[in-house]
Amino acid sequence: MEDRPLSPHIQIYKWHISSLVSISHRITGIINFFAITLICIWFTLMLLGESDYQIIKIFLETFLGKFILIGITWSFSFQMLSEVRHLIMDLGYGFELQTTKITGLLVIFGSIVLTILIYLIGRGLI
Amino acid sequence: MLPVTKKWLFLKISSAILLPLMLWFIINLVNIYDKSYFEIVNFLTTQPSKFLIGLFLVIAYFFSALTISEVFEDYINDKKTKNAANKVLNFFAITIPVITIIVIFNLNT
Repeated sequence: MEDRPLSPHIQIYKWHISSLVSISHRITGIINFFAITLICIWFTLMLLGESDYQIIKIFLETFLGKFILIGITWSFSFQMLSEVRHLIMDLGYGFELQTTKITGLLVIFGSIVLTILIYLIGRGLI
Repeated sequence: MLPVTKKWLFLKISSAILLPLMLWFIINLVNIYDKSYFEIVNFLTTQPSKFLIGLFLVIAYFFSALTISEVFEDYINDKKTKNAANKVLNFFAITIPVITIIVIFNLNT
């Protein structure tokens, strides 16, 4: 269909938890694409050798570097939980209005908890 | 099988494979990001991380290309623009992981 309407009409529909999770899922998916690309560039810069790598290391230890890392961790966490929600829905579960609200909230708040957990595990604090 | 059904199946299979890889990768990323040059190179060049990073990159870009093409489908009306956007997306989704995997295999401790 050539002139089919574009979707979803985010400017028209009233916002719900499900629509918030859905649009955030798409945004974090695009963020993750760029984040993984950034990580690939970082790995590629390892070819420069130890002395040149010091500049990148100094940047990674700055507030901005840590902020980007935590941001990527949250974006990954959100994407993972939202993907689990999608997979469960693909199996035919969780379509009731109340359940979609609960699972949507679980994804939103769970992503914050998961970010903290991943950070603590990654830093060897737990 | 319809192409859209095949696409949906690929999306779901890659998503299920990607989930544990994403968790493994992000935990290790938090662990290594401020480590020394040699510690990071050592992580990238030893098994199983070398294999798992390669697998993660291939699946992640494959999955991203499929999902972002769905976003294009929903928000780009012009067919030519949509095709061009998909071509650029697929180009990066193939070249970036391939180059990175070659780099990882050429890193020496």
